[in-house]
Amino acid sequence: MNDLTTNPVEVMGIDAGGTMTDTFFVRADGEFVVGKAQSDADEPSAVMESSKDALAHWGLTVEEVFPQMVTCVFSGTAMLNRVVGRKGLRTGLIVSKGFEDFHRMGRAIQCYLGYAFEDRLHLNTHRYDEPLVHIHDTRGVTERVDSKGGVVFPVRLDEARDAAAELIDQGCKAIVISFLSSYLNGDHERAVRDVVREVAKEKGVNVPVFASCDYYPVRKETHRTNTTILEAYAAEPSRAILSSLSDRMKSVGANYDLRVMASHGGTISWKAKELARTLVSGPIGGVIGAKYLAEQLGIDNIACSDIGGTSFDMALIVKSKFSMHQDGDMARLVLSLPLVAMDTIGAGAGSFVRIDPYSNSIKLGPDSAGYRVGTCWPAGGVTTVSVTDCHIILGYLNPDNFLGGILELDVPRAKQCVKDQIADPLGLSLEDAAAGVIELLDLSLRQHLRAMISAKGYAPSDFVCFSYGGGGPVHAYGYTKGLGFKETIIPAWAAGFSAFGCATADFEYRYDKSTDIGITDESTAEDKQAAIDTLQGAWNELTEKVLEEFRINGFGPEEVTLTPGYRMQYLGQLNDLEISSPLQSVSTAADWDKLVESFDEYYARVYADAARSPELGFGITGAILRGSVATKKPAVPSEPDAGPTPPEEAFLGTRPFYYGRKWVEAKLYKMESLLPGNRITGPAVIESDATTYVVPTGFETWLDGHRLYHLIEV
Amino acid sequence: MTSLQNPLGTKPGSLLKSGLTLNEYRNSVLERTAKSGFYNGLEKLAFKESDPIGFERIFSKVRAGLVNAREVAKKIAASPIVEQEGELCFTLYNAIGDCVATSTGIIIHVGTMGAAIKYMIQNDWESNPGIEDGDMFTNNDCQIGNVHPCDIATIVPIFHDGILVGWVGGMTHVIDTGAVGPGSMSNGQIQRFGDGIQISCRKTGRKDVPLRDYLHESQRNVRTTKYWILDEKTRIAGAHMIRDMLLEVIEEEGAEAVETFMYEVVEDGRRGLISRIKAMCIPGKVKTVAFVDVPYTHEDVHVPSTFAKVDSIMHAPCEITVNADGTWRLDFEGCSRWGWHTYNTNPTAFTSGIWVMMTQTLVPTERINDGPRYATSFRCPKGTWTNPDDRRTAHADAWHFLVSSWSSLWRGLSRTYFGRGYLEEVNAGNSNPCNWLQGGGVNQDGEIHAVNSFETAACGTGACAVKDGLNHAAAIWNPEGDMGDIEIWELAEPLLYMGRRIKTNTGGYGKYRGGLGYETLRMVWNSTDWTMFFMGNGYMNSDWGLMGGYPSATGYRFEAHKTGLKKRIAEGKSLPLGQDRDPRDKEFEKHLEPGAIVKRDKQCITTEEMFDNGDLYLNYLRGGPGLGDPLDRELDAIQEDLNENFILEEFAQKIYGAVFTKDDVGVYTVDVEKTKARQAEIRKERIARGVPVHEWMKGERQNIIDKKASLSVQQMFASSFYLSPKFLAEFKEFWDLPDSWELPEEELGTPMYGARITMEIGDLPDVTPVVMVEE
Repeated sequence: MNDLTTNPVEVMGIDAGGTMTDTFFVRADGEFVVGKAQSDADEPSAVMESSKDALAHWGLTVEEVFPQMVTCVFSGTAMLNRVVGRKGLRTGLIVSKGFEDFHRMGRAIQCYLGYAFEDRLHLNTHRYDEPLVHIHDTRGVTERVDSKGGVVFPVRLDEARDAAAELIDQGCKAIVISFLSSYLNGDHERAVRDVVREVAKEKGVNVPVFASCDYYPVRKETHRTNTTILEAYAAEPSRAILSSLSDRMKSVGANYDLRVMASHGGTISWKAKELARTLVSGPIGGVIGAKYLAEQLGIDNIACSDIGGTSFDMALIVKSKFSMHQDGDMARLVLSLPLVAMDTIGAGAGSFVRIDPYSNSIKLGPDSAGYRVGTCWPAGGVTTVSVTDCHIILGYLNPDNFLGGILELDVPRAKQCVKDQIADPLGLSLEDAAAGVIELLDLSLRQHLRAMISAKGYAPSDFVCFSYGGGGPVHAYGYTKGLGFKETIIPAWAAGFSAFGCATADFEYRYDKSTDIGITDESTAEDKQAAIDTLQGAWNELTEKVLEEFRINGFGPEEVTLTPGYRMQYLGQLNDLEISSPLQSVSTAADWDKLVESFDEYYARVYADAARSPELGFGITGAILRGSVATKKPAVPSEPDAGPTPPEEAFLGTRPFYYGRKWVEAKLYKMESLLPGNRITGPAVIESDATTYVVPTGFETWLDGHRLYHLIEV
Repeated sequence: MTSLQNPLGTKPGSLLKSGLTLNEYRNSVLERTAKSGFYNGLEKLAFKESDPIGFERIFSKVRAGLVNAREVAKKIAASPIVEQEGELCFTLYNAIGDCVATSTGIIIHVGTMGAAIKYMIQNDWESNPGIEDGDMFTNNDCQIGNVHPCDIATIVPIFHDGILVGWVGGMTHVIDTGAVGPGSMSNGQIQRFGDGIQISCRKTGRKDVPLRDYLHESQRNVRTTKYWILDEKTRIAGAHMIRDMLLEVIEEEGAEAVETFMYEVVEDGRRGLISRIKAMCIPGKVKTVAFVDVPYTHEDVHVPSTFAKVDSIMHAPCEITVNADGTWRLDFEGCSRWGWHTYNTNPTAFTSGIWVMMTQTLVPTERINDGPRYATSFRCPKGTWTNPDDRRTAHADAWHFLVSSWSSLWRGLSRTYFGRGYLEEVNAGNSNPCNWLQGGGVNQDGEIHAVNSFETAACGTGACAVKDGLNHAAAIWNPEGDMGDIEIWELAEPLLYMGRRIKTNTGGYGKYRGGLGYETLRMVWNSTDWTMFFMGNGYMNSDWGLMGGYPSATGYRFEAHKTGLKKRIAEGKSLPLGQDRDPRDKEFEKHLEPGAIVKRDKQCITTEEMFDNGDLYLNYLRGGPGLGDPLDRELDAIQEDLNENFILEEFAQKIYGAVFTKDDVGVYTVDVEKTKARQAEIRKERIARGVPVHEWMKGERQNIIDKKASLSVQQMFASSFYLSPKFLAEFKEFWDLPDSWELPEEELGTPMYGARITMEIGDLPDVTPVVMVEE
């Protein structure tokens, strides 16, 4: 099986986290191995160590495998950590004169961004993080462009020259330029950019210069400026690291282009101009993986649910497309990165459980025990009950094989803590209290999952639910129960699903440009024609940017698939909807009506028919262009049917299991030993080192030939 | 009287199918509450206690539904006030109009929409115009509990199996209501009749469809029709989502469980407040007071009637009594009279508004409903500005008085937190969020337009007892501050930004300083006809500081006309950009052409003034008050204030005693030894300057006897004395005044129009007002 000629290893995914660097390699037949190494300051070394660890499972070496690989996708948290820890490149900022403070003012919303609801209300808890650029490294230059793109007063370049010289002299290693309304008219920014480059050249220093209009020409200066600053502050150092990783891989024979997972759901080259797009990548991997898997299985609509220890992430894939957020936020910064639309709540499999002293009701999270597990693991030092404690008490998790048995748990201690902290105050039995906690958590996840689906105008019955992440298989029955999904699917590799997903992502660039197009009843055919021309002009401009990115990586225009889109609104609204264009290109006034039709229909679905307001006219606020090229993706395993009865060696015995207000004996199975076709009726618990799959009374499950478990509510 | 029984209305008693009318049922709940001390007589929470998980399950579903509806619906709006600032809220009520749960947003409307429902119940809407499934009712009437006309509520009854099970209310703050002055919180008018369109719980929709007569009538009564209609759709869409949600919860959990829940949860909320008060406060009394100015004699205040041309002051004393059982009472005895301006309020808005502030500090919880109101007794004496006894009063900017009075309540509460050792919870009172930039005319797109900037949502906050206040962060009416992106405001307003800077020196000094405010300079741009005005406090300051901390900086206005800026731009000359760092330096004026007309003074309330393209307007958003003796401030913090441009050198020296140097690149270094020495001197100077309190009081007493006070101060006290003999007696006792001392308004010579003969809405035929406070 490990014959590299017939069964080559072609795909590799890297997940470089703060503590561990995971790599995983997929063979042509779909089998995979995972490697681990401690993350350290030298990221390329950690990746190489982790790769060695993984390939050792197959008795292979990096020197043997790397030359034949065709796809390698990196995702990591280093850039994010650099931002959170404020350890980026010292960056200078040049803004419109009179606006030197706006970056540090954080639009006020940055003082509670990312807070749980109750803390958002609780004023005294609010705080600002340090700005990315200090006020002393900020300069103003006289200039202004108005909200229609007209010049109010021209840029004074002599001021720009002085500003650049001062910033360079005081030690700035990169300079960002962000003027108001530059998304409509970037002339001033570009003129200053050229002046700053000249000054740097005169001074003989290499200071990269970033004009916001060259990177993120979209409305909202706080978002655009933050994002452009991240290019300088956080992405430039990452580029250096990725460059060195790429060199290390090449030194052992690699000849693929290292790619990085980006927030828009595609992967981009480490050489890409806009590397800040890779700031957020982890949880997106799962969505991309789900999309890919669904395509392989012929499923159109998927509700993705990913539950880890601290959070629950959800996303929707409709007709094989995920939707996008235009102004995502990350690390308590508002950004203008198009972000795969994911709803996240701060409740996870390890959330803390408390009784609110004021209302005597159960309160979950928002904080969680994390790696310290709960009161069941005394060595973790936690004294507050966690969801995990409840699962242990109820027999859902195996206390003797927690995380593969590496942690020794103290069940009586957990019981005492749940009794003292939860059961007694509520006047419930230990079991009912623990089960109540699980029920409320699952309910809360279910509410959010449902709200996300209904907020987009759909019903769960339109979707297949994919459940993954370390906690997915434990909670899947609970948060899908009664929602009426077509089906719930749990991949056997749920715990490593995000890394898998990264490797399935397309090589894809996405560019956005704000536009101001408005057409009402009173508009003439000429007006519509002009609108169409503006939109097509924007698409043309973005096409050029996308093709240029691919050119850097050696792809010709004929290899690139282009997908245009636009953001539309009823004229005057502040929000808009992203629409995938029904037309590949537009040229006539009649095309306008087709664009409107697509929007109007989608709007009615999202906000109800009564909210439609075609009488106001229609506006296009942004042009979008995605370009992608084909890449090698991991195969999905395919194994023969072995019949409904699990093999004897899969059966591990039974364990008391509390569900539906009574104790029952659940059958236990070893996940790795189950075979395709096997069918198990609850109560049952299917265990592996990385995760536990719970099938309570009233549910059954079967494993298909792709190692996917199907959970069925009987 | 002609019978108003509507032949088409609902048959009395049919809504609940219990034989009781809504009003009879509500009265029975109130009776059980009064008799037992527990909401609806619920001494035991049978459902919650026997099935805490089931109870919580319903709460979680309802709450998630409300929050989700708000998030989805707000995206329909066009108004930045709704979409960017989040000035909308959705609330679920039980059948008698008590709030069960609310979304995030402006929590004041928990009470205001509830008052509208109660008004419909008390005034027999049941028989006329009838209450049916699919109906919509609209209310923004300030005599029916609303804060100001620009808060529009859409209220939808919820029926299950033909029985009325509850109500949902959706509220948005619209940008204009067609008042005399443009903008939602304008101040040119002085009576209700100029305050904008007021809709009194009118049936505006049937079978889920808005009625055309209402849509036509309402749109032609406001300036900004597009915002109006999209706000309307926002409210309707959200309300219907919530109705559907509740019906689904009933399907899942059963009608009986849900109905029980909808009353128990109110009692649960009542108990929740009590346990918070027990945890955070100390039993006893705290007295606080607040003042704010209404400077109307100035030539830039144009009002239609001479009797309104008066400089007056709002007076808001409050006695907070925390009872040993954890209930409490807030008594506003001694407040001054309502006036001929737009800052009046009504008891519902006044008391509901207080929860907006409380949820930021005492009860920061998602479990807010009408329960806490039942644990609180409010007293708003009739005739005061908190409870006008006249139906002509205007309310468009009720917030001017509301926020000024809350600041003192927050200080009062903070003293009890401090006493209990919750230093982290202490807040020196927060700022009075203003200025309100408003105006209107024809905008950059050639449309009739009005603006109401909500940059106010991000003022400086009050200092805490362990840290400084936050700069440019929040408003006392909304902890989730948002100043909005400039590029969004410039779409909504024909006002080009010439700067947005942190406002130096605006946070109150103290051991912990208040958060700084900020300022934005605006140039009228691409408009055809344009007006603007100022709304805020300038002569007086309502955010005073706590325990030795200073108040935040006072307000001032700056506007400039005939600036010659077009010429200066063409000639490449210097321009007024960014900061008016030290107003005494008049920085902006240095960059205007000779002949420019500049208004730079403390007159922070004006009425509509014409502005041409190229004219300037400074929007200065206030800082927060400080806490503790400034001489106790850490020297590093003073140094940082200097280096971050948060304080002017002169004040670092004068207030903090800082001695420092500045190097050639502008970095300040505080000299520790010299500063400590200077601070020791200041302490000695203080002692030398100090006078024993009894001596100081002697002098003040003489001033009172000689009536040596400004006319406005005298008028303010005279109106309080007239309305409250009790307050007068306390005042005289405190200052040890002779029995004969009195201060009647009549002797002051100020206009007394409306001061003696008044008429309330309750005096109108067929009207039963909703009263929920002691009067």
